[in-house]
Amino acid sequence: MALTKLALPAALAPRTWPRELRDTLFLLGVVGWIVLLQSAHQPLWASALALLLLLGRAVLALRGQPLPGRAVMLALLLLALAGTWLHHGQFWGALAGSNLIVLLLALKTLELRARRDALVVFFLGFFTLLTLLLHSQSLLTALGIVPALLGLLTGLVLAHLPLGRPPLTQALRQASTLVLFGAPLMLLLFVLFPRFGPLWHIPTDAQMGRSGLSGQMQVGQIARLALDPSVALRVEFLDGRRPPQNQLYFRGPVLSRFDGQQWLPQYGEHSLPEHASAALQTELQSAGTPLRYRLTMEPSHQPWVLTLQTTPELPPIGTQSAQLTPDLQWILPRPLTEVTRFEAVAWPELRHRPLRPAATLAANLLLPPGFNPRTRQLAADLLQQLGPNASAPQLIDAVLLRLRTGGYQYTLEPGVFGRHSADEFWFDRREGFCEHIASAFVVLMRELGIPARIVTGYHGGELNPIDGFWTVRQSDAHAWAEVWLDAQGWTRIDPTAHVAPARTTDLQRLLPPPGPLAAALIQIDPDMLAQMRAIWEATNNRWNQWVLDYGQNRQLELLRQLGFATPHWQQLLYLLVGLLCLATLAAVAWLQWLRPRPDPWLRLLQSARKAVAQAGGVVPAPATPRQLAAALPTDCPAATAAAWSQWLLRLEAQRYDPTQQIDLRDLHRQWRQLPPLPRPP
Amino acid sequence: MIQTTFVPRLRAWWLRRLPQQDQTALHHHNLYLLPTRAGWMLGFTLLLLLLGSINYQLNLGYLLTFMLAGSAAAGVWVGHRNLAGLELSLHPGAPVFAGQSAAVEIHLHNPSRRARYAVGLQWLGSGPAASDVWADVGPQDQHSVQLAYPTQQRGRLPLPALRVQTLYPLGTFKVWHWWRPAAQLWVYPAPETPAPALPLAATHEDGPASGPHAAQRSGETDGARPYRRGDPLKWVLWKKAARLAGDERAQWVSRDFSHPAAAELWLEHARCQLHDEEARRSRLCAWVLQADALGLRYGLRLPGFEIAPEQGAAQRQRCLEALAWR
Repeated sequence: MALTKLALPAALAPRTWPRELRDTLFLLGVVGWIVLLQSAHQPLWASALALLLLLGRAVLALRGQPLPGRAVMLALLLLALAGTWLHHGQFWGALAGSNLIVLLLALKTLELRARRDALVVFFLGFFTLLTLLLHSQSLLTALGIVPALLGLLTGLVLAHLPLGRPPLTQALRQASTLVLFGAPLMLLLFVLFPRFGPLWHIPTDAQMGRSGLSGQMQVGQIARLALDPSVALRVEFLDGRRPPQNQLYFRGPVLSRFDGQQWLPQYGEHSLPEHASAALQTELQSAGTPLRYRLTMEPSHQPWVLTLQTTPELPPIGTQSAQLTPDLQWILPRPLTEVTRFEAVAWPELRHRPLRPAATLAANLLLPPGFNPRTRQLAADLLQQLGPNASAPQLIDAVLLRLRTGGYQYTLEPGVFGRHSADEFWFDRREGFCEHIASAFVVLMRELGIPARIVTGYHGGELNPIDGFWTVRQSDAHAWAEVWLDAQGWTRIDPTAHVAPARTTDLQRLLPPPGPLAAALIQIDPDMLAQMRAIWEATNNRWNQWVLDYGQNRQLELLRQLGFATPHWQQLLYLLVGLLCLATLAAVAWLQWLRPRPDPWLRLLQSARKAVAQAGGVVPAPATPRQLAAALPTDCPAATAAAWSQWLLRLEAQRYDPTQQIDLRDLHRQWRQLPPLPRPP
Repeated sequence: MIQTTFVPRLRAWWLRRLPQQDQTALHHHNLYLLPTRAGWMLGFTLLLLLLGSINYQLNLGYLLTFMLAGSAAAGVWVGHRNLAGLELSLHPGAPVFAGQSAAVEIHLHNPSRRARYAVGLQWLGSGPAASDVWADVGPQDQHSVQLAYPTQQRGRLPLPALRVQTLYPLGTFKVWHWWRPAAQLWVYPAPETPAPALPLAATHEDGPASGPHAAQRSGETDGARPYRRGDPLKWVLWKKAARLAGDERAQWVSRDFSHPAAAELWLEHARCQLHDEEARRSRLCAWVLQADALGLRYGLRLPGFEIAPEQGAAQRQRCLEALAWR
């Protein structure tokens, strides 16, 4: 930088930049902004290389030096390709593709010369913006895209102003006008363009690098999520009644199979028994008061739907309908790739009693041999202590008492557990995160002969006072246990609550240390940070509800509101095409109205002139009415001539005599009644 | 293939239907509108963006795509409004000699209260490499541009059709207007250089025929010829010399006492001693210019056409036009 400064004392004053230089630097600035937007989702070297290329191009422009030749460009291109290949092992796919396109965009500026190149940069820039959306569609991203979009449009408008040195503001104003004029069309298309499913490829979790609950549980996995503040779902309670906070359990994958290391689900999306849902309904016994809620899920790229416990029925999600597994988990045929919103009713006190318990309960007693010998011993000791006739509730109470009083700790950093994870928890470490506690608890339950399973999902959340939504974050991910009691059926027990009661009642979280900015804000005003966060979350939530959540469901809902009895996406297409045709017709009519219309007075005069000329009168090319009257053919009857000249003089007076009020429409009428002039032979 | 045969033919057919006029006002009846190559590229880009949005289920991607589509559609409207309502008039400049470029002036008048940007003017059929002459016209303002029109052949040349177009604001759509001017351009034959001396001697034979008339009128000049070395200074026509002082080609003119009465110079097609018609015209043109520069009275004889001897600018124009046209 110091070098350029030394070399360019005069060139640094923007006001004196020649047009070409100014336009080039402006476009480089826009491209630089796009690269910066992408940098959060790029390997560091790629962003650095792209910015370096842009900087180099700017220096060349400021110094008026020639652009690099073919050889240099080829070398840089190979460098970009090699870097992408080394980093990603491929050129296609969301990550490698967006990496490559950013580098190509930066490279293209190195040959940015003519109008054609401005166009190429414009189109490449748009693709880069789209690849940005693969990583994030948040409100913040949208806000970042707006200047980039306006910048690209401004650059394009500038390229089409060939004369002089038009101010940037003029081009920017024109670009903004275009966006503004285009907004109605944009909205129309956005609302009515039918939404389809993915065409050739379902974006998957691995490719997107998203975090969230997974389908199995390795002990230590949920702790990773504890520090992730991103939103998992939002809930709105519709009847104004909220469940007590210790009932806010959002049910995700239910894990019944244990192989010693991992907990796995009993039912995958493909191993679901036919018509399981229908059979299951008869086993559910509702009790208590229902809760109507609306839940908005961020795309999880997983096939399950998180529901408030317990939701026995679910409306169709998009085009898919979810199925309820016999362990009360909702599963979809395809992963959820968009923000999804549904309304459902939850029964917090619902009982689930399988009609033929023996068949399903046996699986919830299995333990792999050769694991956790000390826990087995502990179970045997407990059974001995309470006697062989001890009931399940008694045994459970004994275990929970041990959790409460045994000096067990709830911690975010429990360290790495070995082969006998339950043993380690019960005897060695005596501390753990919810998954360790739940896992050790369920293992012990099974050793005691009580059917038990692990349920993962989210617990708790945070009420946003701005819009009244509950926000549930990844850091609210939780694991708890369910045990089978003969009297009640499946019953939820949260062993973590007995280790750390505050975790479930006050929804107290284990917080990571705050960052420097947040720390400074807490110093100034601890409430302000929370307030600001609440406002931001509420705004973000609106964005999700209105824009990101607008999918097929909402479109069909709209059609229903418009009076279509059986909404179908084809009707959207008809509606869209119809409205577009209507808009086009309106535009044509408007143009027709704008068309220059000849002066009606002049038209009348022209007709008169034509008639006189046809009758043989000699009339000058632009004739006044008086001249016309004088040029009436001599062979015409006196009465006719008098009528004509009287009419012509009135025509003249209408236009030029301010003292007379003559209506042009009268003259029109009289014109039609004038006696015909004689035809020349 | 289609580009080379079909489009020009279609255009020629369409142009024949247009009225010839020196003024034109642009409105939606005579403005045409098509996407440019960049416009097709934009359409392709939009398609790709849409496919990407569908496949990756990006609602924000839909929004971005449709915003671009909306802006492009608004661009069509803005481009159309950029030309609609503009009034143009054409003023062919001074006549030129074949081979020179004629400067045709186009006045652009913008009666509306919004500015018009990047209005491009170009002769139709001037080749794909030719570029437009651009003009910006401010609100309720006038602007004129000079359009060079290269000439090759003498004659009374109808001006070719003009294309008035704009790519503003995005370059994705072209809005244009075809205009057939009525005005014609006088292109005189290219004067021969170097031209042989005026055929002064040749006038001798005709002298007596026209002698009596000329003698009566020629009080001032009996006859004149270019100054030759050795002429006495009192023979020089000083008035003419003074009048021509600024002209490079100016020569002194001496009183010619050898042809006292035959003051009229006849420039004759038949006596050019050249076989090629165009070469003859060129020589005659050079002679007319010479004779005019000398302030001589001269007449012109072309096959079947004659202009009586006269002098002055009007005579010069008459003769040159005859040489160009007859």
